[in-house]
Amino acid sequence: MTIAVSTTPGRPAASEWVRRLPEYLTIWVPLLLSAAHLIAFSLWTIWISFTPSTLVPVSGWVGLRNYSSVAASRNWQIALDNLLLFGSAFVLLSLATGLILAILLDQRIRGENVLRSIFLYPLAVSFVVTGTVWSWLLNPGLGIQKLVRDLGWTSFRFDWLIDRDMAIWTIVIAAIWQSSGFAMALFLAGLRSVDADLIKAAQIDGAGPIRMYRRVILPTLWPITITVIVIQLQFAISTFDLVRALTNGGPGIATQLPALVVYDLMFQRSLLGRGAAAAVLMLLILLAVLLPYAAWRYVQRRRAIHA
Amino acid sequence: MPITTTRRRLLAGSAAALALPAFARAQGAIKPRLTAISQWSAGSDGAAITALGKKFEEKGGVWQHSPVPGFTTEMMNKLRAQIMAGDPPACSQLKGPEIAAWSKIAPTVDLDAVVAAAGYEKVVAPDLAKLHKPGGKWIALPLQIYSTNMLFLSKRAMDKAKADKIPVTWAEFNELAEKMKAGGVPYPIANGGTRPDDGQKFEAALAGISPTSYRAAIMNLDKKALEGPEIKAAFVQVRKIADWMDPNVGAQHFSTNLKRFVDGDMGMMIMGGWAQGVLRNAGFKFDDFIIAPGPSDNSKPVFLLNADAFIFWQRKEPDLQAGQRLMAQLVMDPAIQTMYSQITGSIPVRTDVDLSGEGWSDGQRRTAAALKEAIASNQAVLSLAHNMAQENGMTAAIIDVITEYVKNKTIKPEQAVTRLAEAVEGAR
Repeated sequence: MTIAVSTTPGRPAASEWVRRLPEYLTIWVPLLLSAAHLIAFSLWTIWISFTPSTLVPVSGWVGLRNYSSVAASRNWQIALDNLLLFGSAFVLLSLATGLILAILLDQRIRGENVLRSIFLYPLAVSFVVTGTVWSWLLNPGLGIQKLVRDLGWTSFRFDWLIDRDMAIWTIVIAAIWQSSGFAMALFLAGLRSVDADLIKAAQIDGAGPIRMYRRVILPTLWPITITVIVIQLQFAISTFDLVRALTNGGPGIATQLPALVVYDLMFQRSLLGRGAAAAVLMLLILLAVLLPYAAWRYVQRRRAIHA
Repeated sequence: MPITTTRRRLLAGSAAALALPAFARAQGAIKPRLTAISQWSAGSDGAAITALGKKFEEKGGVWQHSPVPGFTTEMMNKLRAQIMAGDPPACSQLKGPEIAAWSKIAPTVDLDAVVAAAGYEKVVAPDLAKLHKPGGKWIALPLQIYSTNMLFLSKRAMDKAKADKIPVTWAEFNELAEKMKAGGVPYPIANGGTRPDDGQKFEAALAGISPTSYRAAIMNLDKKALEGPEIKAAFVQVRKIADWMDPNVGAQHFSTNLKRFVDGDMGMMIMGGWAQGVLRNAGFKFDDFIIAPGPSDNSKPVFLLNADAFIFWQRKEPDLQAGQRLMAQLVMDPAIQTMYSQITGSIPVRTDVDLSGEGWSDGQRRTAAALKEAIASNQAVLSLAHNMAQENGMTAAIIDVITEYVKNKTIKPEQAVTRLAEAVEGAR
């Protein structure tokens, strides 16, 4: 930052303001534009959700009719059940995988950089690619099942992709593969920032490695854990491309998720009003996760200031 | 009727159109131009529309086609965006009841004069004509016809089953499937796992069991027909078909399995006539398979109509208007329809085109004959799975039930009937 050269303290000179104009422009213009975009389109979607719009947006008022018809549809109910299962399984398992990977990497092993890149790499792949690749791997006639059978274990079965009760788990698997590296990176950063004195003290007190992690290191990680949970949850709620490429909501409609239902209503069925209602419902689910998190952050900051 | 006379008539018709005063004034100075969008970008579809564009350019026009690859609905998203921006294409692909629905959101071109000049109405199936003149005026023109319930038989699978008779009724179809299974064909039915695939199995079953019931239940959404015994019988037949399919297809496209079909690992395929174009594009020969009309219990062919069409959107620019007129004339031209269908494997919309000549396959000839016979016996009905019978919202609601039923074998046919009726009520 430049040193302010102002003649009257408290009120910057006009020349100073002009000099900082590029800074203001680079910060505020994109910020205002994106905020306006976000807010304007959210409000527009909320408005559309109360109108009888189908092919194109129209004005009019149908009250909560779009909401009740979405909530009553089988697609939406299946999507909600799936979201609950997928969301919790994905968040917990990716958390666990990420943490284990981070702890293993933290053992000052050789080739850490290479391994870290390998684990992080899936994050750089688009979800469509992930979905497509896994749809081949998991296809019983082409992928893992065929491979194992060709190797000689002919009764081997791994057909979750086409089993409507288990298909949702294939999405969990692909999602974990994709994003546990991300959890790992955050955890690893957390592990590395643990106060060395704390570890020394514990060592002097005779704590073994397991005890050290359980009692000393992991408790310091919980703010990171919450951040990871929230980020993964909002990803889970808005998952779209992964499912579309992997199962496309199938077999049948067994792996529907809310984002798929929104897209389906708006663009496949040309029911804009109902699609908007489903989108607003999705926004509410997201807020149910994000608002408590924001409140928690606020309380944390207040505490930090007062401490 | 031979093509030459119709073409002469068509030329006379276009001369009449040229004589229209507004057009005559424009003719000298203006080069016809056409902005068009469609989903046809690759394969035989892409080749066909490119050939059409060449013809358009030969007539002195400027051809500006922007393909939107993927499902029809993705092309519609582009169309919607352009209409909302007040800049619709001069002409776009659109079909079935969507023509009526979309014509309410933006002004379309009245084609009555051009259609009358070409004498086109007489040579189009009446049910089909109705879809293209929703307000009593022609605003869209059908381009080519497919039947969605053609029966493809793998020659090698037939050999394995030691069968040579083409099944006509569902009972014969089921018998042949059993024979194939016994003869060592692992999956007597070849299929894909997409939504339209599942929908096609159901519509083929119901229309084959009773075209009357299909018309009442699916086309007219009659409540009593929707709960009738034919619907349950159709679901029972669909379950049989599902049991003969390879469960591993997941959500794959039907074309993924064409090789296994030709090799005789899969026996029969209920698919639209476009599969012929796809098979040929994939390098297979006509000797590898037989094409016949789908099973029909009264032995007369049932034709599930799927017709691609162009709708024309109002534009003020004189060059676009001239382009629209030229395009309309081309689309109705029997020579153009012949060229188009020979590339894609469809059959022409015009019922007066002679298919006996070179360039047509036996399958196409059989399809055209089936259409004529089906129209005569009132058994030409509109396809549900390919958005000809209902608008997208209703179609999707019905297919939800069907695709779940195909994939979930714990749902009983009775339950499926109830769910179907509920889904229709919910989407009304």
